Amino acid sequence: MSGSPALLPSGTPDGDVASEGPGAAVRWRVVDPAGTTRTRVGGIGDPGTLLLAGPPAGAGGDALDVHLRTWGRLPPGDGAGVRALLRASGLDGRGGGGFPLARKVETARFAGGRPVVVVNAGESEPASRKDRALCAERPHLVLDGAALLAAALGADEVVLHLHRAPGTPAPVLERAIAERGRRGLPDPRWRRTAGPDRYVSGEASAVASFVDGGEARPRFTTVPLAVEGPSGRPTVVSNAETVAHLAVLARIGPDAWASSGVPSSPGPRLVTVTGATARPGRVLELTGAATVGEVLLADGNPAPPAAVLVGGFAGTWVREDEAWQTPFTRDALRCVDATPGCGLLGVLPHGACGLAETARIVRYLAGESAGQCGSCVAGLPRLADACDALAAGTLRRRGLRRMASLGEAVLGSGACGHPDGVIRLIRSTVAVFEDDVAGHVAGHRCRGSDHPPVFGVPAPVLPVGRDDTREWT
Amino acid sequence: MSVEIRIDPILCRGHAICALFFSDGVDLDQWGFGRVATATAGSPRDVRRARRAAAACPNGAFVVREREPNPGAPPS
Repeated sequence: MSGSPALLPSGTPDGDVASEGPGAAVRWRVVDPAGTTRTRVGGIGDPGTLLLAGPPAGAGGDALDVHLRTWGRLPPGDGAGVRALLRASGLDGRGGGGFPLARKVETARFAGGRPVVVVNAGESEPASRKDRALCAERPHLVLDGAALLAAALGADEVVLHLHRAPGTPAPVLERAIAERGRRGLPDPRWRRTAGPDRYVSGEASAVASFVDGGEARPRFTTVPLAVEGPSGRPTVVSNAETVAHLAVLARIGPDAWASSGVPSSPGPRLVTVTGATARPGRVLELTGAATVGEVLLADGNPAPPAAVLVGGFAGTWVREDEAWQTPFTRDALRCVDATPGCGLLGVLPHGACGLAETARIVRYLAGESAGQCGSCVAGLPRLADACDALAAGTLRRRGLRRMASLGEAVLGSGACGHPDGVIRLIRSTVAVFEDDVAGHVAGHRCRGSDHPPVFGVPAPVLPVGRDDTREWT
Repeated sequence: MSVEIRIDPILCRGHAICALFFSDGVDLDQWGFGRVATATAGSPRDVRRARRAAAACPNGAFVVREREPNPGAPPS
């Protein structure tokens, strides 16, 4: 499992990785000879990283040269070989849902017809930076991975989807595509789309709708997108980090790649740290069963914070003692009712109020609804009001009970998971900040109420009703 | 023969007419938006009621479809 640098599955043409990428697989191998995975947390170019391995991208210059020196060319292979790699690796989606990419691909192939392949690099989660960092620093890994995904699906075109927002990696990807064209790499046709910069516009069915010429709003679907998307064709939407992993595991082999994670969460994983940490917005790569504490230590937090928001703004709070020692893996996080989500770790410092932070996030998320389903239109503004009142210390026991039943009415009733994410956040808030909630409903605002805002939550759009006049195209 | 029942939450405007025709099969939330209590209807009486509810919905949000065996799943 650990001895050979490149372990391509049988049936996959052996690309002789070592000769094409001089020592690449050996240099970045993360499994020691005994077969035990080292636990590592690293930033761009740090030893032990895979996705972030190699020198930081300089301004300008030919990134493709650096990329090929580090990784070599993609081993030649056909669609069946890539699908075998996907199955053997167990690669899970890194956009938030965690759905195995191999199953999406098999579903689309079973459905038949010419599939639509979309790589979502829009990263609509406001505090997340991992996809932006990856596209800016390692654009050719993302493009290699996208080309492999297209091959797995027999598609000749890939849609690269971004948001219309300042600071997107669009220019970097554009340069990288031009470099590859000049070098004659066997790429699919690249189509670029740029959608509205809204939270729900990053949801898979919203992305699929937008790239088909429709609105970037979630759709009500009764069959998976991979069976039939808005265009009527099977549609595979995959996150930018997910496909970049595919580019790595095609070179070092699925076993070596998977063993740099743990069996329940194969492969390494990118996270973004935000909130009260040394460098909010910093992107780190996790290897092995690195704990949340190890990640926070790596970003200069010597002791457990008050609590950590795990998985995204619509994620879950985990209390200090639990968070610090919990490995950032799917199985371990499940034990504290969290999921890796989009890889966000939000640090709440001692002395800040988790209820106040939650209230700001819920208000923002309520305004980011697409305004389509009753649960969001009627439910979320009321939940945001309740969270504001709870943070301000004006909500009483009865109001808290009303908030809980409102949450139950909203849960699972939308076309997409947006309202459910808000409910999940509120439920974990009430559970984790139990003592603060008791104090607030008794009318005692906690000491943290005057603490300056911790998370960079964008200003909320006012909750809109059915007469939504915002542009969605 | 059984049918599959779905309420499209995007099209639903909370008229709650479906609940008049098919009260056993639909739950209403506090605003009158419907949720299907049972995703399938098997008995001829329920199928009849579900079809009536679908025909009565002013927004076409109440959808009744013939059940296909395991649609879209790849062979395992």
